[in-house]
Amino acid sequence: MKKTAKRNSVRITERSLFYWILRRHRSTQLLLLLIIVISLFFKVFPLEMQKRIINEAIYLKDIQLLYLYCGLYIGAVTVAGLLKYGINVLQVYIGQKILVEMREELYRHVLQLPLQFYRKMQPGTVISAMTAELNAIGFFLGGALAIPITSVLTFVVFIGFMFNLNKWLALLSMAIYPFELIVLPYLQKKYNTLNMERVQTTRSMANVVNEAISGIHEIHGNTSYQLEGKKLSSYIAELYRLVKKLFIVKYGIKFANNFFQSLGPFVLFLVGGYMAIHGQFTLGALVAFLSAYEKVYDPWKELIEYYQSYQDALIRYRQIMQIFDFEPPHLMLLPGRDPLALQGEISLKNVTYAVPSGVRLLENINLEIKPNEQIALVGYSGSGKSTLALLIAQLYDPSQGRIDFDKNSLEDLSKMDVGHNVAMIAQQPFIFSGTILDNLLYGVQAISGQKELPEKSVILSVIKNVGLQKDIIRFGLQAVLSIEECRPFRDKFLRMRQIIQTTLRNDFESAIEFYDVDKFLYYSSIRDNIIFGDSLSGEFTVERLPGHLRFVGVLQELKLEKPLLTLGFAIATQTVNLLANFQDDEFFFRDNPMEVSEFPVYSKLLGRLKKPQPKDEEARRLLLILALRFIPKKHSIILLPSAMEQKILQARHRFQETVVGVDIDHCKKHDACTPCSRIQKNTEKTGFIPFCPSEYLYTRTLLENILFGAVKSEEVLDEYLRKIAAEAFKDEKLLDEVMHIGLQFEVGSKGDRLSGGQKQKLAIARAFLKDVPILIMDEATASLDNTSQAGIQGLLENELKGKKTVVAVIHRLDLTPAYDRIIVLKAGRIVEQGTYDELMARKGDFYELTRAEF
Amino acid sequence: MNSLGQNSDPPVINQLTCTQEFLNRCPLFSGAPAGVVGLFAYLAKREEYLKGQDILTQGKHCDRLFLILSGKVDIFQNHSGRRFHLQLLCEDSINYFGELALLAEFDWFFSARAWTDVKLLTISREAFSKVMERYPGSYQSMVQKIINLRINRFVDQQQYLMDHISSDAWREDPAQEFFL
Repeated sequence: MKKTAKRNSVRITERSLFYWILRRHRSTQLLLLLIIVISLFFKVFPLEMQKRIINEAIYLKDIQLLYLYCGLYIGAVTVAGLLKYGINVLQVYIGQKILVEMREELYRHVLQLPLQFYRKMQPGTVISAMTAELNAIGFFLGGALAIPITSVLTFVVFIGFMFNLNKWLALLSMAIYPFELIVLPYLQKKYNTLNMERVQTTRSMANVVNEAISGIHEIHGNTSYQLEGKKLSSYIAELYRLVKKLFIVKYGIKFANNFFQSLGPFVLFLVGGYMAIHGQFTLGALVAFLSAYEKVYDPWKELIEYYQSYQDALIRYRQIMQIFDFEPPHLMLLPGRDPLALQGEISLKNVTYAVPSGVRLLENINLEIKPNEQIALVGYSGSGKSTLALLIAQLYDPSQGRIDFDKNSLEDLSKMDVGHNVAMIAQQPFIFSGTILDNLLYGVQAISGQKELPEKSVILSVIKNVGLQKDIIRFGLQAVLSIEECRPFRDKFLRMRQIIQTTLRNDFESAIEFYDVDKFLYYSSIRDNIIFGDSLSGEFTVERLPGHLRFVGVLQELKLEKPLLTLGFAIATQTVNLLANFQDDEFFFRDNPMEVSEFPVYSKLLGRLKKPQPKDEEARRLLLILALRFIPKKHSIILLPSAMEQKILQARHRFQETVVGVDIDHCKKHDACTPCSRIQKNTEKTGFIPFCPSEYLYTRTLLENILFGAVKSEEVLDEYLRKIAAEAFKDEKLLDEVMHIGLQFEVGSKGDRLSGGQKQKLAIARAFLKDVPILIMDEATASLDNTSQAGIQGLLENELKGKKTVVAVIHRLDLTPAYDRIIVLKAGRIVEQGTYDELMARKGDFYELTRAEF
Repeated sequence: MNSLGQNSDPPVINQLTCTQEFLNRCPLFSGAPAGVVGLFAYLAKREEYLKGQDILTQGKHCDRLFLILSGKVDIFQNHSGRRFHLQLLCEDSINYFGELALLAEFDWFFSARAWTDVKLLTISREAFSKVMERYPGSYQSMVQKIINLRINRFVDQQQYLMDHISSDAWREDPAQEFFL
């Protein structure tokens, strides 16, 4: 690709490893070098002190001198240690800082690579390269300069010291090094080859795993677990083989090193000892010489290890840069100017697009689109509609011809020019993990950062226009709010509760069983009936209650423990007998206190349990859990006698009084708008919130808080009452608040908590919020139901007509009449264009397409 | 009803057996294998309506069969702004409605209202499909029974309407115009 602007720096994939080391954080690296040089003195000084301690202090029997030299020795060793500590910390700091920059720049480069690169590249390779492989390089980077310089200087200084003591002995001790210089590089070369293969195999493994996770639904659907397992097994076996060989070589290098290391002292003891015996060498000098020899081996060893680590890092680095060695076809931003503000005129002249194999997907396309014109692209599958849309969005580059925006060649426009003027909605939009709001603002933030975010009212208006309002409200109502999140709205939400409990009570009573301290709740669990509240710490969850001594004490006091165990036993027996052959279908467990995953546990339990009053704790715990989960009106396998209902009510009052210290009857004197300070003080002390009308339940959803009861009939609630509630919300001016909460809904990885239609609406809203002059839609409403599609179409016709240039790839031809012009593609060429009426009258390709559709 | 209490503890009652016995008496399920009836008894839901409450509304989406445990249900249809009463169902005669909802998805073409306080047992289309997946051998006979029951109710409704049509509307000659 031709470049019109000169690049200021070397492309990242063309930089050497040492480019990063020599051009980044120079001042910190200089500081490091200074510390290294200073530390050298403190490394050698103790050796001299060793010699003087023996030759002077001990020989002359001078205690003062002994103290002095020992003091100086320990002082130097301490300072040397502290300096070494500082050197290590600085090395890691420099290495990680360089790694941060390398990673960020590489990622920016990777993101700008063309789509064609990603069609051939496995995501696992990119992930592995960006994460684990760069990590390994990072550890090398910090010591890349410091280690060899320190080692060489230390080596030279100690060798100099040794020569000073005895040059012949020094020469003798260095005699073994040339052998190492031959053996070790040979072994290292073998290691490098194996390491490259290991890196490749690890990448291939990452690709296999990544592909399996991406297509996990297919694997489950086809039960192809063994097939997938075999795919990975071959790579695992290969990796095992390589790593085994790698470490054989690596430890071979270590062995060679250690062997040569041991040879040195052997020679010195032999020759030095002989010389000392014959008076040619003092004992002190021999001791100092041996110390120096041991110390001189350290930098030598460090240099060997540095060499290995350098080879390893170099291989990884080269392989990573090789993978990403593509030039991004367009600059991010052209220097010297801001991104252009375009009018929305698009012109295509003799545009042809061919894939690498030579097949032409588009041929000789000529098209003029005026600013604010709305164009529909139609044609049979494979006619090139989507390819044309991608070319206009600068996601592909034409093989021949030219595309202009407002007479500016698209080839020469930067990514930011296009980003500021074009919004593209793909057929299968990608939703990033995060909240709905994060996804909505993604496009806007990309071009403006945090500076120019849309007003809240604009966001809510766009959400309404694309038909996402009901979903957002539902998400908002399903949100569990923390104390902090709820604080600004708490009183309003409680006011809503009050309205439903009083003004709208008659309407809602058929669908909601309101919490009432004196009534048994048929649509709530036994747990809710007894505890009648929630703990902020989760102390009173169903799973924890059987082990809660005070709770069990209340049950025993009121003789309720045995009936509950009987209930749990009855539920378990009925379920195990009835559903033994249905464990593969979660549907059969929907209205059962037992979860499908728990079936084997209860089946095993009943195998050894013959009556409902077991002695062992675990059995009692399991049965009580079932009983506490039981909801009388929902779990219809068992009917609870009214005498038991009465006992449960007694247990409720007893529990509140003795375990959590709440005067539950006091709640009856308060409604949602009359706060109860006594209850609030108790909550602050114990973390327990009773089902008191004046209290917001922070462990429950917003909807549950407003309804303040259990739902009897979802159907009635959905059918009639949501509308009434929405009206009430509007009157209380709460709708926006609820939507704002709904916008914080976490969409999950790739938006998997959203339906296909919701994802598409979100993508459309994201594009609309960008508010740019050109909108490109590639079958953007394909996943929507007819009503929603009509809604979006209405929006394009009514709100955006004459305000934006729209290029829409359309799959449903009945949506085309509203467009200013229809472009018909066939086998990569434009065969017809005109308005709907013109094309229908012509009875050409478009007419045939409509007949085929209907 | 089976009680599973111990000594003087209030017993819990096995409701499944009651439901199963009731279903065995219903024409749709009588003669069906015990496993099938047992599953339906487990998957059935109980609903209660007070006198005058709507049970289902003409034009809304249908999804379940209703069986009357106690009380009376008024079946009617709205047409041209008028309400036509079609049937009054109770537990000891034709005690079911919405049977076609087990087989197909459509909108209710009639309404049902509680004539008195009413207790109903309902079985959803989803539950019916799930059980039939497990007992495919019973599917044919169940479909046949459902159709028979629908015809039964249809005939009952028709007879009721014919009993209440004005004599002017009765005619022998098809060419003659109707007068209601």
